[in-house]
Amino acid sequence: MKTVIVYKWARDSEDAAVRSDGAVDWRNAKMTAGEDDFAALEAAKALSRDGDLIGLTIGSGDASWALARGVGQATLIIDAPSLIDNASTAAILAAAVRTIGGVDVVVIGDSEDYSGVPVALAGLLGWPAIVQVSAVSAVDGRVQIVRKQGRNEQTISISAPAVIAVSAASPEKNIPGMKEQLAARKRPITKLTLAEIGVSAADNVSSQGTRLPETTPARIFEGDPAAACGKLVAALRDEGIL
Amino acid sequence: MSDALIIVTEEKPVGALVAAAKGLGGMVTAVVVGPRALADAAAAAGPAAVKWIEPRPGVPVEAYARPVARLAAAAAPRAVVTSATAEGRVLAGAAAAELGAALIPGGLTLSAVGDKTVVVRTDLGGRVIESVEAAGPMVTFYAGDDIAVQGSAGVPIEPVAADGAADIRIERTEPAAGADAGITKASVVVSVGRGLKKKDDLTIIEGLANALGAEIGCSMPVADDLGWVEKDRYVGRSGQHIAPRLYIAIGIQGAPQHLEGIRNAKVVVGINNDPAAPIFKSANYGILGDLYEVVPALQAALGK
Repeated sequence: MKTVIVYKWARDSEDAAVRSDGAVDWRNAKMTAGEDDFAALEAAKALSRDGDLIGLTIGSGDASWALARGVGQATLIIDAPSLIDNASTAAILAAAVRTIGGVDVVVIGDSEDYSGVPVALAGLLGWPAIVQVSAVSAVDGRVQIVRKQGRNEQTISISAPAVIAVSAASPEKNIPGMKEQLAARKRPITKLTLAEIGVSAADNVSSQGTRLPETTPARIFEGDPAAACGKLVAALRDEGIL
Repeated sequence: MSDALIIVTEEKPVGALVAAAKGLGGMVTAVVVGPRALADAAAAAGPAAVKWIEPRPGVPVEAYARPVARLAAAAAPRAVVTSATAEGRVLAGAAAAELGAALIPGGLTLSAVGDKTVVVRTDLGGRVIESVEAAGPMVTFYAGDDIAVQGSAGVPIEPVAADGAADIRIERTEPAAGADAGITKASVVVSVGRGLKKKDDLTIIEGLANALGAEIGCSMPVADDLGWVEKDRYVGRSGQHIAPRLYIAIGIQGAPQHLEGIRNAKVVVGINNDPAAPIFKSANYGILGDLYEVVPALQAALGK
């Protein structure tokens, strides 16, 4: 199946510094591979055994990430900005998928912070979607998906074209070495602009500011461990927890 | 007056979805995809109208994204609110595309300011609250707590023919590995992270767990990289989601990935030697110190 793996399409929220007044400073954070990107790449490889796998990334991240991990070619939308509106980000990805053309399946990491992007992408392409997926395979020309639902594991069969959003169950192992990274530099990256794929990068919304959440600070006990633990046990008993 | 649509795929946050949608001050329509009982629950939660799609047997809720998007287009709401579940998100994504709407996850409250719609949302893994304003229609995934529904007579339920469902089918459903692990039902869970130096040191954690009648959990690296604890005991976004009365996180920094799994724990205690560990921001209580000293001391204090 002709599969597009979308990677490095968002900034990592852990790269954002939150100041004491609640303002957010992204400190020139770039689009990075989130923990779900690697799981998504593994799933995409499982679907595209015959080699028709294309990487798609947007904006400021290093496009060679997927190429060093066995993807043969990639498309980079060089001037895509980081946007608040998940549907606007999805519109850029949808235009890129249409430009690539003839795509059967789009696989994308199911990012917690940008949880609207995979589903808006499916909506804009007019394709069905399944998210929070843990495993993917191709069976009889259809896509077979495993996902956890509550305490159950569900096996679902979906016909292409479709968007599949994958959640990581474990962090990446076997990070590529220098050899793979050098080989990745020889693989082709098609660089396109938003104008070339026919989409604007307007954010449909505007932030009116950020503030810190109202949280009750934890009661921290420190010093002598026996005394600290005695206070904790007393507090938990007072609260009826013990 | 402004109109809002809620998309209901499960019973739990329906009261809160209606309340959030009513923040816009207008009429709320519920689109329900699920069994009749779910439509009844939605009808009792106070919307002005309920449109109900009943999935065919063996067809997942997501197959009805197109019909839901058509209902959304016909209602032309100012805002669409759904829960942040796998099913709710897919239906709302299709609705957002159909409406040409903005999509802002993490919504807590909605309000109308002039002709603009403002959503107050949680962002950056709960680290900040952001107000986001949209000039056009907006879709959000509700991220706040549920609100109990006041008993009401309910409105009539209008069944809707689900033409144009996608070709998706459920092949089988079986209990997930680890579904029977005691950790998912335990009222007290003692969980260990990378602060533990070697596998043999688990004995001190087990000692505390025995004293508390607790099940043992762990952070992702302890199960995955190190293999010290069975994988079905790993707590986090992609692991177990648990709701114990008491959760004690020992030597766990508290990455957002981990905190996701204990969102429904009642009381969280963090034990860590790093005063800047994020776990202290999410915990109710903390002990700052070396776990090798604190855990035996805590076990002793419990015996007093």
